[in-house]
Amino acid sequence: MAMSLKRTLGLRLSVWYATVFILSTVALVALTYALLASSLAQRDHDIVRATWREYAIRYELGGLPALRSAVELEERTSGRERLFVRVIGPGGADAVFTRVPPGWRDFAQEDLGDSANGVGAADAAGHDEHTIIEVASARLYDGTILQVGKSNEIRVALLHKFQWIIGVVTAITLVVGVAGGLVLTRSTVQPIYDLIEVVQGIIRTGRTDSRVTVRTAQGDAVDELSSLFNTMLDRINALIVAMKESLDNVAHDLRTPLTRLRANAERALQSGDATAAGHAQREALSDALEESDRILSMLNTVMDISEAETGVLQLRREPVALRTLLAEVVELYEDVAEVRRVSVTLEPGDDVTVNGARDRLRQVFANLLDNAIKYTPSGGSVQIAAGIDGGFATVTVADTGGGITPHDLPRIWDRLYRADPSRSERGLGLGLSLVKAYVQAHHGTVEAASEPGRGSIFTVRLPLTAM
Amino acid sequence: MRVLVIEDDATIAAFVEKGLREAGFAVDVASDGRTGLEHALESAYDAAIVDVMLPQMDGLAVIDTLRARGVRTPVLILSAKRSVDDRVRGLQAGGDDYLTKPFAFAELLARVQALIRRATGAAEPTRLSAADLTLDLLTRKVQRGSHAIDLRPREFALLEYLMRNAGKVVSKTMILSHVWGYNFDPSTNIVDVLVSRLRDKVDKPFAHKLIHTVRGVGYSLRAGE
Repeated sequence: MAMSLKRTLGLRLSVWYATVFILSTVALVALTYALLASSLAQRDHDIVRATWREYAIRYELGGLPALRSAVELEERTSGRERLFVRVIGPGGADAVFTRVPPGWRDFAQEDLGDSANGVGAADAAGHDEHTIIEVASARLYDGTILQVGKSNEIRVALLHKFQWIIGVVTAITLVVGVAGGLVLTRSTVQPIYDLIEVVQGIIRTGRTDSRVTVRTAQGDAVDELSSLFNTMLDRINALIVAMKESLDNVAHDLRTPLTRLRANAERALQSGDATAAGHAQREALSDALEESDRILSMLNTVMDISEAETGVLQLRREPVALRTLLAEVVELYEDVAEVRRVSVTLEPGDDVTVNGARDRLRQVFANLLDNAIKYTPSGGSVQIAAGIDGGFATVTVADTGGGITPHDLPRIWDRLYRADPSRSERGLGLGLSLVKAYVQAHHGTVEAASEPGRGSIFTVRLPLTAM
Repeated sequence: MRVLVIEDDATIAAFVEKGLREAGFAVDVASDGRTGLEHALESAYDAAIVDVMLPQMDGLAVIDTLRARGVRTPVLILSAKRSVDDRVRGLQAGGDDYLTKPFAFAELLARVQALIRRATGAAEPTRLSAADLTLDLLTRKVQRGSHAIDLRPREFALLEYLMRNAGKVVSKTMILSHVWGYNFDPSTNIVDVLVSRLRDKVDKPFAHKLIHTVRGVGYSLRAGE
């Protein structure tokens, strides 16, 4: 899940970056193109209008001969592109004077749009589909029509070249946008990925001594986050060390008097005499030794539970083949089960491998089996099965014992909870608390279901992934 | 055999000293790290038992200094800390074995003897015997008098362990870790059950019992009594 989150975040960022970058470039280029095209057209129209006015004045002053000589003079002296000029008699009949730019053919009056005055962007007969001659056409004082036109060839060629440049620029923009997006994403998201990796490592191993690498000299929010995260880790680490120490100290302070107690009892036991009174004393001393061992074993278990629950416990993970491990545990209890006349079977199936601390997992299943055998009456059976369910390896331990009442069921995981309130018999004690603490330290779950009178079934689920 | 005990707790030190003397060792006791180090550097010991938390100089520093001066005396570390990290630290400092407090004397004795045996390179026997009971490690055959006894692998392993430690007491923890290789404490008495099965085969048909229960401590295989 974290992996896909990482990917989508990175991808989303690069796509956003590239999209914004490309869209703004395209918008800018399009605007420039529109402005250029319209100002070029404007300029052409201005030339056409100015020329029309000039020729109109010539015609008014000197008639057709003056206009003709002005046009010829213009054509001779000006290096400019040749213009279209046509004079149509007042009768509206044939043209009395026509100059067509080279490469163009004459066209009929009807081809022009309805533009009696001013500049009409007439779609006159051009010599290819993109180019046209734009003609200004108006009547003079005597009813003669004077038409001046200019082809848009140069403009089209210029704009065509510009379009080509735009294409190249857009392609470059696309490359820069995508590459920039990737680089930006990498530099922005990489520290976050690093952070995720470190956190995952800490959750996986329980070791809080790893740190995120902080890029120096940039000092942006992400770097600040990394460095704050490290500070937080330092504090957590200090807390865990302190907690571990105090747990250790408590254990140490309990162990030392326990050692003395044991030593004294053992020593006294060795020097006892063989009289009847001596025998009673020996019994008492032996009891003291056994009880001190029981205290020690409880102390160890309480320590293990505390360490697992507080996260101080470091799991030395390795691939563990569950069925093999279960077979070992079943073998461990073989004799006990035989003596109690309880049949223990490990259901056949494929082996499932999880990543876990072998010793801790062995203890989990040993405790569950221990419990099952303990609470199953003679002649009953215990069945153990391992399998896969979703992303989890499952192990079930089912017995045909007396079961657990619905009232007790949620409480069996509590430390030292005992179904029988008299507490006369040593019962569940810490075993199931330890099971739960260890399973949770492996990021798994354990649950119990029971039918009073029919039996109980305990299900351990351990994640199959490395987490 | 001479053993040095460096332990600041008088009760524990006296207990260890007395037990070792009874087992036939010559024992010197030092109650702080510095004195202990001086003893260890001056005289040659067959083994040393070193507590970790000591006044003046801690146990690991003592071991470290000894190793740095080239003293190869096998060292058994005693500690009230039982975490794997502490164990690893102890062994890295140059300790040869690690025993967590509290302990049964039998276990301490077995470990000290194992250390000395390892250091002197005593030859491994191929055949163990006690009274009329013999166990052949190569053919894996067990015989009592003229009767062949058929044992399951775990029963064989337990008997072998008891016979190797004949005359000494072995604790349930020691049996669990030697016979099954497990270091946890199952609440059901798996060891008791196995011992009782072994007794059924080795002792029950015979008048003279070899396997004895030492209450509060463990079991012992003895030829005499």
